[in-house]
Amino acid sequence: MTDQTRPTLLASCASASTAAEARFRVNYPNSGRRRSRIFALDGPAAEAMFAITEAPWQGAHFLAVGSGGDVDPEATGADDLPLSHPDGTGAKLSEEIEGADVVVLISSTGENAGAAEVIAREAYHRHIMCGGLALAGTALANGRGSGAPASSPDSDPTSHVVNTLRPFASILVVARDADFIPAMLNALRA
Amino acid sequence: MLRKDVNDLLTQTDSGTPMGDMFRQYWIPALLASELPEDDCAPVRVKLLGERLIAFRDSKGRYGLMDEFCAHRGVSLWFGRNEEGGLRCPYHGWKYDYTGQCIEVPSEPDESGFCEKVKLQAYPLIKIGDILWTHMGDKEDRPPKPTWEFATVPAEQTYTSKRWQECNWLQAMEGGIDSSHVSFLHSGGLKSDPLFKGAKGNQYNHADKKPVFEVTEAEGGLYIGARRNAEEGHFYWRITPWVMPSFTMVPPRGDHPMHGHFWIPIDDENCWAWSFDYHPTRALTEAEVQYMRDGHGVHNEYVPGTFRPLQNKDNDYMMDRDAQKRGDTYSGIKGIAMQDASLQESMGPIVDRTKENLVSTDNGIIMARHRLRKAVTALRDKGVTPPGRDPAHQMVRSVAVVLPADQPYAETCKEDLAARPGQKHTSV
Ligand code: FES
Ligand SMILES: [Fe+2]
Repeated sequence: MTDQTRPTLLASCASASTAAEARFRVNYPNSGRRRSRIFALDGPAAEAMFAITEAPWQGAHFLAVGSGGDVDPEATGADDLPLSHPDGTGAKLSEEIEGADVVVLISSTGENAGAAEVIAREAYHRHIMCGGLALAGTALANGRGSGAPASSPDSDPTSHVVNTLRPFASILVVARDADFIPAMLNALRA
Repeated sequence: MLRKDVNDLLTQTDSGTPMGDMFRQYWIPALLASELPEDDCAPVRVKLLGERLIAFRDSKGRYGLMDEFCAHRGVSLWFGRNEEGGLRCPYHGWKYDYTGQCIEVPSEPDESGFCEKVKLQAYPLIKIGDILWTHMGDKEDRPPKPTWEFATVPAEQTYTSKRWQECNWLQAMEGGIDSSHVSFLHSGGLKSDPLFKGAKGNQYNHADKKPVFEVTEAEGGLYIGARRNAEEGHFYWRITPWVMPSFTMVPPRGDHPMHGHFWIPIDDENCWAWSFDYHPTRALTEAEVQYMRDGHGVHNEYVPGTFRPLQNKDNDYMMDRDAQKRGDTYSGIKGIAMQDASLQESMGPIVDRTKENLVSTDNGIIMARHRLRKAVTALRDKGVTPPGRDPAHQMVRSVAVVLPADQPYAETCKEDLAARPGQKHTSV
């Protein structure tokens, strides 16, 4: 047991949590550049996402799942997934996801659950955090997500979107408005 | 990360600031009713939203809350004589009634009517539950009276305490929606704290240490659901409601009382952490109330005669390194309330959010800031009434429940998440 010496200087005890002492905080960057990969799973989600891709992001890539995204995940390899950049050019999932820090899946209709699974699977194998953002407001405005049969237990649009994302997302946000997309990405230093 | 201008917008609440205007839209807790226990009792100094005020209870039991300083030469009315229907300044005898109106200036002839010209800024003070509430905004636009369930159940079913916290209100409040810290910081308390232990739900907490979070927007604010694996095909959900601007509830455990908090700015570098426990359908037991008084659960012990916690920054919160090593407590600090307060105060009076590195599990906090920012700018720019003012938004409860795996909790538990007077809460 070493001798306990009680600190006596102001900065060596809890009393240092003053505004005056805040001046002495170490002033160097405490994190590196992020590589965030944002995937819009359906049309309305892509529209909302592409509206904000111009902002000066730190290293985020924005990708939309194209038509034909309703794939069978078992039979679909990473690079078979139709993906496009904001400028309309095609993208390869394996290249996009390699070395990413975080993957965010955005869904507003609940369509393309198969694509969500393919992306999440690739993220999982690489130990990349995968979050989901359900745009409930958009889902409601669009009526029921087209993927759910009327009689299914999740025929309510929000629950359909949630159930598309829930199996794959380690964190899920159900937001009413698309303005949460930039708010979240800014907060995450995307 | 939050830009400095947004951080300033959300953390500054003095008179004339946008967030200050937003707090002035609501009835907020000002004092415990027990601080003004009888007619003509001693007046109490209280600072709220950067305004120094004096609270008193006059000879007829009317509550007053007004500018602390006498309009004559600026003496603190804390020294005043509370007598015969008003508070009299001891310096030259000017006297004020509970509305702040000056009713006597002894040096002037009664007939001159001089005193009618003198009025201190005053705010209403109303007793609901154990709390005296005030509304510091426009008197032409008083909100409906508060309807929070903890304050409206019968007196024997509820217990409230408050403590001084030495940091900005927002970082304290963010602790209430930061569900991901619970498995670390408070991991010692689940087994031992008399106000938590023994609930069936606790077994899910122990079995699945890595909850998944689902954040869902609600009319009045947010729900933060933490999901753990339960029996086959089911999830155990713990759902925390946040109501704007600063009300949160902790998900319940078994038949223990439910608890929650209000965080109210004193000034930009201090806040009141209000903590309550209540049971919607039964009286608190003597033992429960004793535990609360002794500082268990969400409550704390005090420096005698004050609302300052016994563990505070002057004694390094009574850090116990041996308890930390043994794992009795995760941080070495005793008690849930002080585990939170010690860390939040250590961030500095107003944490510099430009330096933080939020991750996906911080989405509850990210969404709360987003909602606050939207509400505060809508109020400032367009006069839009912020969420949380509507009594319906205040009728919330936290929930602990086991649901089938495909259910969206906010819809499935709509009723459980609503305060239903006289009906038991949903808890496992
Ligand atoms: S680990 Fe969260 S503040 Fe340090
Ligand atoms: Fe906590």
